[in-house]
Amino acid sequence: MDNLGFLFAANVVVWGGIIYYVYTIQRRNRALEKDLGLLKETLNKEG
Amino acid sequence: MNFDAMKKNQGESNLLIWSTAVAFFAAMVAIFIYVPTEQTEGVVQRVMYFHVPSAWLSFFAFFVVFICSILFLWKKEREWDIYAHASAEIGVIFCSLVLVTGPLWARPIWGAWWVWDARLTSTLILWIIYTVYLMLRTQSDAGSMRARYAAVLGIVGFLNIPFIHFSVLWWRTFHPQPKVITNEGIGKGMDPTMLATLGVSLCAFTLLYFLLMGVRVRQEKLKDEVDQLTREKHYSV
Repeated sequence: MDNLGFLFAANVVVWGGIIYYVYTIQRRNRALEKDLGLLKETLNKEG
Repeated sequence: MNFDAMKKNQGESNLLIWSTAVAFFAAMVAIFIYVPTEQTEGVVQRVMYFHVPSAWLSFFAFFVVFICSILFLWKKEREWDIYAHASAEIGVIFCSLVLVTGPLWARPIWGAWWVWDARLTSTLILWIIYTVYLMLRTQSDAGSMRARYAAVLGIVGFLNIPFIHFSVLWWRTFHPQPKVITNEGIGKGMDPTMLATLGVSLCAFTLLYFLLMGVRVRQEKLKDEVDQLTREKHYSV
């Protein structure tokens, strides 16, 4: 790997890391929204 | 309800998202177009503009953990615990990036991916401490003893950071000496264009920290409310 390859790899690692972290946050948010929706539904049924 | 509050905060978040995006765009232009190539190390030296801001962000994040952990132990308020947890997670992510980008920069310059010198080893220890902190957090409920243990670990872990900073001055290490804050003054050890590029990159990463913190803190608060509602539902049955 030449010097440009190392720079490219570092760039990919940083952006990949940030994007993956944002993706995990979004995934956790979706799970929370789902839980909240189910809770609301259950509470509405119970009146 | 938190979802309404989240929508209300959306406007502020949008401003932060756009500011961060613009700052990162400016940083990429500066890193790949504006700044000249360093004469000795060549093009790979540009890794510094990712490596140093990632290190700054992780140290800042762990400083926030340190402060919030003290406040949590003192005031026993869940709010501080949430801030500490969110900041530790971000800190570990960016400390991981430091530990990966460092070897990618070191390999063509030092001829080795890793050396067990004081700076690199102490940074690895910092990463291990806060990874253990996060592992402890996954098993702790709010207000439990484990949350307090995590707070103590969050405080103790931060004490490693001054050691990391001064390690290159106290020992002879492979890692370069500080270039931004030197005995001659701030930024005297760097070319002005390099300093400006590093400054823009530092701003972008700092904005990203605040953006991620905002999202993670809101998420943790929402999680608390969902847990609370779940408990209430179980008790009412």
